[in-house]
Amino acid sequence: MKEIKYVITDPLGMHARPAGMLVKAAAPYESKITVTAPTGSADAKRLMALMRLAAKQGMELTLTIEGADEDKAAAELQAFLSANL
Amino acid sequence: MGFFKKLFGKNTDDFYAPMAGKAVPITEVPDPTFAEGMLGNGIAIEPAEGKVYAPCDATVDMMFTTGHAVSLVADCGAEILIHVGLETVSLEGKPFKIHAANGDKVKKGQLLMEADLEAIKAAGLHTITPMVICNTDAYPTFRTLVGKDVTNDDVVIELAK
Repeated sequence: MKEIKYVITDPLGMHARPAGMLVKAAAPYESKITVTAPTGSADAKRLMALMRLAAKQGMELTLTIEGADEDKAAAELQAFLSANL
Repeated sequence: MGFFKKLFGKNTDDFYAPMAGKAVPITEVPDPTFAEGMLGNGIAIEPAEGKVYAPCDATVDMMFTTGHAVSLVADCGAEILIHVGLETVSLEGKPFKIHAANGDKVKKGQLLMEADLEAIKAAGLHTITPMVICNTDAYPTFRTLVGKDVTNDDVVIELAK
């Protein structure tokens, strides 16, 4: 299992667009990817669940990635978060 | 669902226009997040009025605190996102009035929120309002009815499994 911690820097938080982009980034991997925020947990491949987190600037997200391609997925998602959120 | 039912469009889950205005293909939304279907397939409304109504019987899943978007879980299971205008998250809720809360059971036609369309335009933003089905993959049959003026009494999306 891989774990990534990331504090949201985008002033608008994880609204619809970044949530959709995260789903797109997570979808190609077979690993189970879970996003945990202070407001709850969500499957990173499910848009509605991600939006329900209402994750704001300054909140810490923890991504847990578990599966055959977890190393590649972790590297990709780390880069995604830094670039987009 | 059998071939004939599919062919004749029976047993579909129907979604009505969330706003009065002109229904257009989602591909006409000038924002690739929506136009390329990243958030799901759907339609968009070029609104004539600011009132946003429930497109079907549903539960409010997530009313954004800014009032610019809402997600609903339809009684039939479809996951719906209505996003009023583009980039409107940046307005921090100012032109929006919220009329429903997370967890509310709403009926088709129930008022969800109101947008001040003139204020959105004055801020230099588009008022075009996409409505997308986030779990598009669950519906092999996905029909949109666009290219015409609509109200909350007109079906704009038909889905079937």
